[in-house]
Amino acid sequence: MLGFSQHSLTNFLFWVTQKKWFLISMLVGLILFILPTPDGLTVEGYRIIIIVITALMMIITEPIPLPAIALYIIVMEVVLGIGGPEEISRSFMNDAVFFIMGSLMLAVAIVQQGWDKRIALGIIRLTGNKTKNIVFGFTALSAVLSSFIGEHTVVALMLPIGMTLIKYTSEDREKTRGLSAVLLLAIAYGALIGSMGTPSGGGRNVIIMSYLQEIDISISYLLWMIKVYPLVLILTPIVSWILIKSFAPEYVRLDTGVRKLVVQVAKLPELTGRNTIAMFIFFLVFLGWVFLSETLGLGIIALSGVLLYLIAGFVKWEDLSRNTHWGVIILFGATISLGANINGTGAALWMANQVINIFGSLMDIFPFFTDTIIVVMTTIMANVLSSSATVAVLGPITLNMGSDSLHLGLVTALASAFGFFTAVAAPACTIVYSSGFVSAKDFLKAGWKVGFVSIIILIIYANTYWIIFN
Amino acid sequence: MKILIAIGSKEYSGPTLQVGMKVAKAFNASTTIVDVGKKIGKFDSKVAVLAQERMESWEFERPGVDVLEWAFQYLEKNNFIESQIIEAGFPKNTLVETGASRAEVYLKGTVCEDVKLILRNGNIISELRDEVQSGNYDVTIIGGSQKRRMAHDLIQYIDSSIFVVNQIDTNRTYRILLAVNDSKGTKKAVRFGARVAQSFDIGVDILTVSKKEHFGANYKNAAELAGKFMRRCGIDYQNIFKVGDPVQVIKEESKNNHIIVMGASTKSPLTKFFTGSVPLKVMENCNCSVLIVKE
Repeated sequence: MLGFSQHSLTNFLFWVTQKKWFLISMLVGLILFILPTPDGLTVEGYRIIIIVITALMMIITEPIPLPAIALYIIVMEVVLGIGGPEEISRSFMNDAVFFIMGSLMLAVAIVQQGWDKRIALGIIRLTGNKTKNIVFGFTALSAVLSSFIGEHTVVALMLPIGMTLIKYTSEDREKTRGLSAVLLLAIAYGALIGSMGTPSGGGRNVIIMSYLQEIDISISYLLWMIKVYPLVLILTPIVSWILIKSFAPEYVRLDTGVRKLVVQVAKLPELTGRNTIAMFIFFLVFLGWVFLSETLGLGIIALSGVLLYLIAGFVKWEDLSRNTHWGVIILFGATISLGANINGTGAALWMANQVINIFGSLMDIFPFFTDTIIVVMTTIMANVLSSSATVAVLGPITLNMGSDSLHLGLVTALASAFGFFTAVAAPACTIVYSSGFVSAKDFLKAGWKVGFVSIIILIIYANTYWIIFN
Repeated sequence: MKILIAIGSKEYSGPTLQVGMKVAKAFNASTTIVDVGKKIGKFDSKVAVLAQERMESWEFERPGVDVLEWAFQYLEKNNFIESQIIEAGFPKNTLVETGASRAEVYLKGTVCEDVKLILRNGNIISELRDEVQSGNYDVTIIGGSQKRRMAHDLIQYIDSSIFVVNQIDTNRTYRILLAVNDSKGTKKAVRFGARVAQSFDIGVDILTVSKKEHFGANYKNAAELAGKFMRRCGIDYQNIFKVGDPVQVIKEESKNNHIIVMGASTKSPLTKFFTGSVPLKVMENCNCSVLIVKE
């Protein structure tokens, strides 16, 4: 046909099948481009919305590599006249991108230090042998650690501890299905809850801080903790309770598992000076975040930590480079650029007004309604997209949905951590799922309960504690 | 001859492995067993690798290695492979990354020469297509799937003959239902059908279906040649001539006690993409195992 061989036709059809969502996204974009600009929206604003819609469709369906989506965003921003090349390249990089880059690199450096063995011993000493105490201990420790070292790092460290405990309790996986679900989901959900607790818990928190700074609202590391950490403390026991009730672990006590785990850890080499210095460097990073982030920025401090690890020789650049997902960093840069331009072109205000026009009367009658819309919208998007990409795109809109931008920004950032619903909703869940010890059904079984309770508590918390606090 | 057997889990892959290895023996083929694991979202692929490295330091293998180990033991137990160093067990430590989403357990030279074990992660059709193209496989053997799209994609995009092992009971005796017509692919399908029949020591029903009452000379010739070939191979066979819709007739004749063997459609890829083909419809409608032989 037309000189094409059967083989090349098959290759073309395979390409079409693999890239169908790219083609559909482009078609949707073209149709929207042809349609007239809605009233009250600038041409640039309408065009940035078209880029947002098509990029989100591609991020969800992944028909092309993530860095390619980032390149698509950058190219289209210039081609469609959102800004000149200089302007767009400036909007691509800010402290939030540095922070995401730094935290991904810190994860590689920290994971290589072998802290998981120490954590294992510590957790058992704290919780004893009762299953429900161990579940609470896993949730709480994952939450506390992920507030400072990022959810994916915590899960990478905690997952083998949980798996070892399960393996030592019984080699028969059929006899530990409930225990596996409860322990490993405690790690994932604990890490997600804890990541809300401090600005350094996740890139999404830093992105919202950078948006707030653009409208001259700043929140310090300590103030964020004071405002948010009580929520982490409230959710931690509730989540462990929901998990225990959802899965009913097969063992009330894990005597055998704990004993064998302690023996295995005891055989490991003692803590070396190198390990102590590695911990000290991270402690310096933490101190920097707490006391210097307002002047130096969270990203620069994270990168300083990476620099120290490299100078000390605790991590090789080759390892950092190999294990850091550069594509994700480029994509976050692009989504942050999108966010900045959604704001700059007036599209954010227009979209916020559309939401207010639809729900305005309900927002007036029920004071919690604005928060409810933001939390539900953000949670849904965070479960199908990356949480940071969600905040990068939604942040500029939600900040325009009311007068208290700090309140709205915090609610957006916190709700974006509620990636409980599916096995692939958040990196923490994906890592746990990839272990093969839990099924996708386990996430569905407990995720909706944890998610629903978290949404309710966040709305109540934001409208009581913050108001009293203010 | 090179055969690729795709497995997915210990629970359901036994019959696929059993049938696949029997076919491989019949063709004296070199065999590769591939497990295509879950696709990790691109956002999380690096952090998942980081977590896997930690798991390995706690002596947990990466997901999928256990499936390959099970497959290795299954083959050993059923005497499908001649293992030279059985006592040493499955050589997990020889798992080597050979691509972005591909790893191989090296068995050659140390453990056994007959079989290759591959671990892949990603979309099953993309991974199998890639493996078949890079390894030049002649037949891909895979367990049945409930997904309609899966059958379509296997036939459309995998560049080898496809054997879908569906609801097969290894203790039951089946017959081959060899569908013949005047197409180019029939000759090869007859050869394949005969080999499979020999390996399972079963008979063959040669089915010729015409949409019209009158059977053309080409159809009769095809059936006659197929019969001759079976006779020469010493296979018990019978010729069946039926009138009707080929898919419906094949479905009625196959019931649940046949392995269907037929040639691939000769339609253009574009026509097959939009309107489907007889082999695709057979695969979707029949509950038994189907071997679609490509030219």
